[in-house]
This record gives sequence, C-alpha cells and structure tokens, in this order.
Amino acid sequence: MSNIGIDLGTTNSLVAVVMGDNARCLLDDDEQAITPSAVRYTPEGALVGRPALEGAAEHAATTITSVKRFMGRSLKEAQAAAGELHYALAEGDDAVARIQIGETTVTPVEVSAEILKALKRVAADCLLGQINGAVITVPAYFDDAQRQATRDAGRLAGLEVLRLLNEPTAAAIAYGLQEGSHGKYAVYDLGGGTFDISILELTEGVFQVLSTAGDTHLGGDDFDLLLARQLLEAANQPDASGGVFRRAIEAARAAKETLTDAEVAAIDVDLGGTRVTREVSRADFDALIHSTVDRTLTACAQALKDAQLTLDDVDGVVLVGGSTRVPLVRKVVEDFFQKPPFCDLDPDQVVALGAAMQADLLTGTSELADDLLLLDVVPLSLGLETMGGVVEKLIFRCTPIPSQASETFTTHVDGQTAVDIHVLQGEREMASDCRSLARFKLRGIPAMPAGLPRVKVVFTVDADGILTVTAKEEYTNTEAQIEVQPSYGLEEEEIEQMLEDAIDFAETDVDARMLVEARVEAEQVMSALEKAIRHDAGILLDGELESFTAAIASLKEAMAGNDRRKIADSTYKLDELSAPYAQRRIERDLQIALKGRSADEVAINLNIADKV
Amino acid sequence: MICWKCHEAVQGPVCASCGALQPPPPKPDYFAVLGLKRSYVLDRATLETAWRAVSRKVHPDRYAGKRALERRMSLQWTAAVNEARRVLRDPESRAWYLATGIPRPPERGAPALDPVFLEEMFELRFEAEAGDPEALERAREIHTTLEAEIARRFAAWSAGEGDLDAVPERLTRLRYLNSMLREHEA
Repeated sequence: MSNIGIDLGTTNSLVAVVMGDNARCLLDDDEQAITPSAVRYTPEGALVGRPALEGAAEHAATTITSVKRFMGRSLKEAQAAAGELHYALAEGDDAVARIQIGETTVTPVEVSAEILKALKRVAADCLLGQINGAVITVPAYFDDAQRQATRDAGRLAGLEVLRLLNEPTAAAIAYGLQEGSHGKYAVYDLGGGTFDISILELTEGVFQVLSTAGDTHLGGDDFDLLLARQLLEAANQPDASGGVFRRAIEAARAAKETLTDAEVAAIDVDLGGTRVTREVSRADFDALIHSTVDRTLTACAQALKDAQLTLDDVDGVVLVGGSTRVPLVRKVVEDFFQKPPFCDLDPDQVVALGAAMQADLLTGTSELADDLLLLDVVPLSLGLETMGGVVEKLIFRCTPIPSQASETFTTHVDGQTAVDIHVLQGEREMASDCRSLARFKLRGIPAMPAGLPRVKVVFTVDADGILTVTAKEEYTNTEAQIEVQPSYGLEEEEIEQMLEDAIDFAETDVDARMLVEARVEAEQVMSALEKAIRHDAGILLDGELESFTAAIASLKEAMAGNDRRKIADSTYKLDELSAPYAQRRIERDLQIALKGRSADEVAINLNIADKV
Repeated sequence: MICWKCHEAVQGPVCASCGALQPPPPKPDYFAVLGLKRSYVLDRATLETAWRAVSRKVHPDRYAGKRALERRMSLQWTAAVNEARRVLRDPESRAWYLATGIPRPPERGAPALDPVFLEEMFELRFEAEAGDPEALERAREIHTTLEAEIARRFAAWSAGEGDLDAVPERLTRLRYLNSMLREHEA
C-alpha cells in the first residue's frame, strides 16, 4: 500500500510516490507526468487533462480551467477574480461559486474532484491499485475556506486526505532531502495562478516555516493574458470571449514558452477571421510583464520582515512552479535576493515530489520519519469581531500549527442564553476588511445575571491549517452548543449528498480485501465504545450518548451494504466523535491513580480505556 | 505517572515501553512541557532546540495512522508546546509567567505604578512631545536599567535569595516605557 502525493495546481496537476529511496512522478498512458488541470463536461461524462483541452476552443463554455482560483470562494469573489472567463459562473446563492454547464451547475470542489480522480487513476494504474492515502498540496497563502474546499474535493474523489501540505514547504522537502542542507531558504513559487513566498529554516532535520506571504491571484496565466490582450487588440477584438479568446491565450502561452529559450517568438493566429502575424522579442515580452513580476517582490519583502531576517540571512532561493522558467522571473528573483536561485529539480515536479515524501513520512513505517519533521505555520491571522467592528486577533500569522487559543465571553443582559460570535481571517484592523470565516451562535448558556456566565471558546487550527471551534460554559461546566455557519463553502450535508451521488462500485480484488478490513475495523471501534459505555456511563456528557447511538446506527447501516468507503467513513466519524469521551476516561483514571486508589481498581479501568 | 495503555511507569509525553502518547497535562507548565527548568535566563537557541525535540515526539505527523484518541492528544500536545514556545520566547512574557503564572499582565488588578515613577514619565512625555531629543534618550536609559534590575531580581530568586514580589510592578513600568517609546519612535 502506498501513500501518494498530489500537486493540485491551477494550470497543471501531478501525482508522485516514493518508491524505494526516491520520489518520482507517475506517468499517464501517454508517458506524461503533467495532467493539465482542465475538465470538460460532455454528455458522456467528464474529460480531464489533455483530452479536455483538445478542442477546448470549440467547447469553451463546457471546458473548465484554472478552477483552483474559485476554490472556497463566494460568487462575488469569484466574479471579481474571474478575469476573462470563457465559461460562465452561475447566478445564485453567494456562499459558493458555481459554474454553469448547460442546464446544470457544478461547484469548483466537484471540478477539482474530477482532476483528483484522474490522478488517482494514473496512480492506481502505476501502483496496481494499491493506494492508501494522499497528501494534497495547497498554496501556503490559502485561507481556511480554500483549504476546506480542497479537503472536500479529496473526499469526493474517494481519497483519504492524510494532510494538506503547503506547496513551498513541499518544494523545500524535495530539495532539502537531496541537498542535506542546513540554513535559511526562500522558496519562490510562481505557478499558473498563484504566487507564494515562504522562508524556511532547516535545522537537524526539522523544516520550520518562519514566514509565508503571497498573492492568490498572481501567476503565469497573467503573463498569457497580457500578451493575449495585445493580440486581440491587434485583431480588433478587444472584447472577444469563448473560442476566440481561448485561441489568443493559447497563442500567447506558446509564445511565452518559446521565449524561455529563444530571443524571438513568431505568432501566427486566426482570431475570429482576422489573422494576426507578428514577432515578439524577449525584450517586448519582458517590458509587458515587468510590473506584474515586480508585484511578487512586495510579498518577498513582507515574508523577510515577518521572519525577522534581512537579505544577508537567506542562504539560498529555491524556484518552484512552471512560471519560474520565464527568464525575466529568474532575473528579478536573482536581483532581489542577490544570489542565483537553485533550479536543479524540475520546477513543475518539485511540489509533487515533496508531497510524495511527506505522504511517505505519514505511513508510520517510513525510514525518513525518524530524521525528518515538518513544522508549518498559519498563513493569516485569526480573530474575532468585537465592539465597533474591530478585529481582536487570537492567533497571529506565522504561528506554528497546530495551534490553540481561547477567549472567554459573557452575557450583557440578565437571562441571556445565546451569544453571537463572528470569526475572521486576515491582517486588517476592521472586520469588514477581513475575510469572514464563520458566524457562530453559542446557545444553551444557563440563564444567569448578566456578566456571570463564562463561556470559554477554544479555537483550534489543526496541522492542515483548518479551524475548528468548541465552547464550554465554565460557571456551570455545561458544554455550550455551537451552530457553525461557514460564511463560504459547502455544507457538510451537500458534501455527503455529492458523495452518495458519486460513489462508484469498482469491485476489484483489492477492494474486496479492503472491504473485509473495513468491517473488522468498524466492529472493533463499535464494540470498544459499547463496552466503555456499559462500564462508564457516568462521565457521558449531555447529549453524548444520543450522538454515539446515532453514529453507531449509521455505521451499522453502512455495514449492511458493501461500500467500503461508506463503512470506513462512518467508522472514522464514530472514532472521532468518541475520542473526547475516551480521553476523559483516561484522564479520570489517571486522576484516580494519582489519588492513590488501589492499583487493581485503576488497572481495571485502564484496561477498558485502551480498547476505545 | 503510569501509561494509560500498557500501565508501565511513564515520564514525558510518550511511553517508553509501548510508544503510546499520554494525555497532555490539563494546565501545562510552559517550562515543563518543553523539558526546561524554570529560569528567566533562557537563550533562543536552547529554547528552539528543546521545542524541536518535543515537537518530534508529539507532532500530528507522528500519529497520522493512529486512532482519533491519540491524534486528538497529539494535536493538544503540539498546541501546548507551541504556546509554551511563544510565551517563553519573549523575555517580557517569560518574566510575567514566572512572576504571576500568566504570560501577560492580569486583566484586573494590574499592579499600580509608583507615583514618583509616573511623575517622571509625565515629564519625559511632555519633553518628548516638545521635541526634546534627550528625553527619548533618557527613556531608553531607564528602560535598560529596568531590564537589568528585573534580571537581577530573577537571578537572586534563582539563587534562593529573594522573591519576585516587586517584578510585576517593574514589568508594568517597562510596558509603560515601551508604549511611550513606540509612540515617539514611530
């Protein structure tokens, strides 16, 4: 069984795996490592990659590219970020951007899931079906909603997402292991649609991210767009869309790629009946994109400042992303950091290779794991809206993750039983300038005089950079209920529905064996919990038994069928749900042990605990 | 302590016998979770080395394939370890933590400043606002002296020759000076 690493890029995606001592990218049937991140919806189903791009000009409205730009975005944000889209965003609910495909709509999460499924098929073909889990990379600068959306896409593609890994960090892993380096490194990652800069320190096998900054709407696609606009103007079609627009983009991209090695690129393209023939010199192209490339340096300076470093402290610069092949980009980076950047590894593959290495570390049997550890940070500050719309920051950017912070709330009116909380992400002072993550209503606060209840709300950012919130009323020790309303993104029920709809019953020998394993695992988790409840009902919280019973019932329902993913998913949920109870039992037992009760009694209790 | 899983005696976050992660302490001592002894003197390199060493043992990457219980405790441990590092990195919050048990001035009942000091500050502020360059210079000198005094009190306390009773008030002075310097240096 292997864990795979996936670079889910704006323009291109790759899948890699560690074989023996080396990470390598897996090749598809055409011997290509790169799968273009393009999906075309046809009446027969979704085409992904090169087949989707072939004839994209004729099917512009149903061919979706650069969908990563819309992950975790609201309709309004997507419209603002859309640039010159050749497909249409659907009008509707603002919380999630949707793309109109004929009569129906798809979400960016579903489109990304199609790409992930295609990569999973490539991996399954290469590895004879033995895929365990996946590490998927995201731009370091992705916020909570964008990370959630990526995780959801993985689930929808039937992958167990072991970890979301920041792209620059993945690149550093790929480089660090090869070079055995120590020191401080800048990772400059310019992809098709996003820019990330991270500063990392490598010490004794620990990769620590010191700071990260970037721009989620800046990349090589912008270079194509600048040149394409010139071509469209030359053809007197400045407002062209659809197929004509696509052809202009394609011509621009081809010219950009030619200019990597050549001084001049010849363009000859038919744009809606007007033939545009011209030569573009590298100097022309550089002049056109210079100010766009310069925009990356603002983020570089910010990252250095956040890491409390000067240029002299940086030992090396690593280039990542296909757009760093553009000669001007290399020159600008070299001038800024005052040293020639590393580019030994293929900039298109380096992120996927690093992701595969991290995936291997997470198998628990990796030999690398004893030497290597990755310590990442939260990219944007998290805070709460307070009086007057001001944001109070709880977790500052560049704090190592996982991270927890808590805040105690009280009531302002006698007998008040609920408090509204607004969680935000960003660096600005005012709530209206930050990104809204979620609105919560703390309910079930015992009716007391104003100011007496003490509701402690704990914010947890996990190793994927994803936020969860729990709350407790400390005065009466009641667990307050939280109603999470994510400001953006899909609801859990929507994801479940998509999963239901998407499940394919591809039965193979491996699947059959995994089905047996999933059932055994489910039985274990269930019987341990049922036993624990029989012995230790006393420390169940209000409502806990009901939620366990419901989760057990849905697990039993899943086990009645033959879908191993559904069984595994329900087992995972029951395990997650009961973990706090299991931990309480352990802690209670350790308390008893400390207070010097008889060792036998403790041993009996502990015996039960270890089965949960 | 005994391990919850194999019942052997256990020290530190991970059981040496069976490798199970232990539940994190409910109110962790920031020095203890990093395996450091309580001390005001703590250089950055020592702290970072200790932080990396504990992170290696408790980080979620180590427990990716384990049951939810251990993954949950791993997250709590790592968050506690990261919080401990954050507090102990900054000499001021480290001093507050050692003197009061919390890493910042208490929300209510912060120590009142000495009236003589306050008067001196009002004068300095007045002179600084009038554009006297020496005022800021004097403020910096007082700052340095205060820091030295705090370090001295901690050194005496470590040697068992004194208490930390006066430290919160001195730290409050330091805060006052810091905010004044920030205002005028900006």
